[in-house]
Amino acid sequence: MFLTRLKTGKIISGAESGILGAAFLLILLFALASDSFLTQYNLFNLTRTQSLYVFVALSQAVMLATGNMNLSVGAIAGLTAVIFGVCVDTLELAWPLALLIALGTALFCGAFNGFVMTVLGVNSFIVSLSTLFIFTGFVYGISEGYSYRNIPADFVRIGRGNFLGLPYLFYLMVGTLAAVWYMFRYTVFGRQVLATGSNLEAAKLSGINTDRIIMGANLLSAFFAGVGGLLWVSRLGSAQPAIGQNWLIISFAVAIIGGTALAGGRITAIGLFGGGLIMVLIKNGLILVQANVYFEQAFLGSIILLTILLDRAREIWSHKARKS
Amino acid sequence: MTLQLKNISKSFPGVKALDDVSVVFSASEVHALLGENGAGKSTLIKAICGIHKADSGSIELGEKTLNLTSLKDGMRQGITIVNQEIQVFSESSVAENIMIDKLDNYRGFGGINWSKLNADALGYLDLVGLEIDPETPIGGLSAAQKQLIQIAKAISSEATVILLDEPTSSITANEVAKLFEVIRDLKAKGYTLIFVSHKLEEVLEICDRVTVLRDGQHVGTRCISEVDKQAIIEMMIGRKILIENFSRLDADPKDIVLEADGLTSAGLIEDASFKLRRGEVLGLYGLVGSGRTELAKTIIGHFPVSAGVLKVHGKTAKIRSVADCIAKHNIGYVSENRKEDGLFLDFDIETNMTIPIWKRIQNPLTRAINIKKQRETAHDLMAALDVRATGIDQRVGDLSGGNQQKISIAKWLAADCDILIIDEPSVGVDIGAKTMIHKLIWDLANTEKKSIILISSDMPEMISLASRILVFKEKRITGEVPGIAEPDQDYEALSRDIGKLMA
Repeated sequence: MFLTRLKTGKIISGAESGILGAAFLLILLFALASDSFLTQYNLFNLTRTQSLYVFVALSQAVMLATGNMNLSVGAIAGLTAVIFGVCVDTLELAWPLALLIALGTALFCGAFNGFVMTVLGVNSFIVSLSTLFIFTGFVYGISEGYSYRNIPADFVRIGRGNFLGLPYLFYLMVGTLAAVWYMFRYTVFGRQVLATGSNLEAAKLSGINTDRIIMGANLLSAFFAGVGGLLWVSRLGSAQPAIGQNWLIISFAVAIIGGTALAGGRITAIGLFGGGLIMVLIKNGLILVQANVYFEQAFLGSIILLTILLDRAREIWSHKARKS
Repeated sequence: MTLQLKNISKSFPGVKALDDVSVVFSASEVHALLGENGAGKSTLIKAICGIHKADSGSIELGEKTLNLTSLKDGMRQGITIVNQEIQVFSESSVAENIMIDKLDNYRGFGGINWSKLNADALGYLDLVGLEIDPETPIGGLSAAQKQLIQIAKAISSEATVILLDEPTSSITANEVAKLFEVIRDLKAKGYTLIFVSHKLEEVLEICDRVTVLRDGQHVGTRCISEVDKQAIIEMMIGRKILIENFSRLDADPKDIVLEADGLTSAGLIEDASFKLRRGEVLGLYGLVGSGRTELAKTIIGHFPVSAGVLKVHGKTAKIRSVADCIAKHNIGYVSENRKEDGLFLDFDIETNMTIPIWKRIQNPLTRAINIKKQRETAHDLMAALDVRATGIDQRVGDLSGGNQQKISIAKWLAADCDILIIDEPSVGVDIGAKTMIHKLIWDLANTEKKSIILISSDMPEMISLASRILVFKEKRITGEVPGIAEPDQDYEALSRDIGKLMA
């Protein structure tokens, strides 16, 4: 248990060491199987994709932690990317200003989701399923399917540059995960998010303003989605309307493999780091073993299912262990 | 068929829920099963219909000894429960709802033989006196009709024992009359009917015999002709047992901390007026659903106020949410359902105890909760309340009922609430923890000068602790009686007074 462990002083929980251990095994496996795996170029690429995956997963994990979900994270990312593209390419605004406008759009989307969930009391699945289509509609309505290619070089450097052989994005991910770790370990907001996800009624009767918490989680989710979308633009060097289209499966897969509880109340920064790594290794590995890429989604779906089954088994096992 | 319970006992960690209970439910009888919260009634129901397995004792149906393993197993043997929450598949037809577990028998050429299914369903509808087309979707029917359809379903599964668990809680008076007609009819046909309800008028009207449970024990079984409402209430609330000798709390009648004037939350509590003094324990007593918990939840902002005024420390308070109530007025509420909405069972003791104080112990600059302070608070409270656990990092879900209850109270002690509402503090709690919790409540009022509102179905608990007791009936306060003033005060007379206000 996340909260339990924090105070016992152990840095890494059993679940987290399991995730990191699995990632390490995969690295070992691929390193032995392929000479090209441990090359500088491959490692740069791996960590860069891992970083992007972690942002995608964070956008889902903060919602899962409250016991809700956000199916529209990919659409928010796509919209953020397109708005950024319009600002820098069509309107020729300075990119920092464009960045603020784009993130503002993402936050607006998150606030809209949050408003319908809390004030109107609609289930998060329904809300975000609807907004997934609404936001996607705007993505294609605004861009008409075309990419914005005129992206400032300074901005592109964020997604392509490196420091000491590791991509900038990697440092950005580590910094963000540290902030997330701090938030859920120390801050009232983070702890109230977990309490809300663990038992909504008890959280209300304990004086937690659960509507405010769920609204906050929606804003945070949209913020991470927006940042993820922009980082994708930076990496690709163009703002494409297709950004975010494959996020649904990635966001759930990395979050769940990374130890986030589907039912709410549990999230771990270290686990998400490991989850992102496992995801990218599996994708990389599928290419290495020359698996048919057209089947990729079937593999990923199976891995999500397997992770959930393992988690279920662990729960039943620890329940039995406690009883005896 | 006769259903015979012999020496049924059942324990949960820390509590004996049923203690050597023996009852005979005869064929062609409507038998009321009564008892307050925590009396063991729901455990007994679950033992009868197969959800719980008794630790010892036996259940016999007719000549056969039952060894039920599940609800489904119980249904196979002819024991069916009709729940208070009406469970139907609202998109399906009436006939499908009745026959849902027997659809296999209607497999015809290329699908279900609908005409046969509907014809058979019509027969069962007739038995419960419903004149509706079996093809009607069930969603549009009234609660009472759905209730009757559930009974039809029970009959169709060849049940011989039907448990009716608060069947009238969501239906109107006219519909109740209709339901009772059906019940009488079933009785005449030889069914064994077990009727569970908090509405004593209904019990007197429809039942032949009544069995009362209290503290997991069988208090008695009487013919309905031998008892009246008063007598049943006395059986439920009990004789002089375990009145603890707490001395009288002397609260200043002029030092009012909380005052309600005509407080109403539509459909839940009507026109409640009372004053709570500093340093007293004010008892709220009444049957489940009589308005006592509803009043508490209205005060803390969980239910909306539709009329009336609430004053905290003399000032009118408009409390919109529980968060509001705690932040602005520091009123704590210990829930009656600690597992459902009181505790975070997956979290540790430390987290559960300190949730309300996180905001107070955070560093304004770093926004970080002071972990050291949090641990100290938890350690102190654990020692003060004698919580038995492996440490402050133990998962709360793994503790016994008594220790869990201490933790749900502890969190409001951490918050240092001036006003504390404690709802059913000793349900599912062992006797040692119960005494400890009573001492704690009394000390809080006496030495710390906290104001306590105590809600309880446990009459001795109420009379031992409360300075004054407000009695509730049908969503209203019907009167006030003093708590026990002197150790030798007549307990019997007091409980009779309370019984009269409830009847």
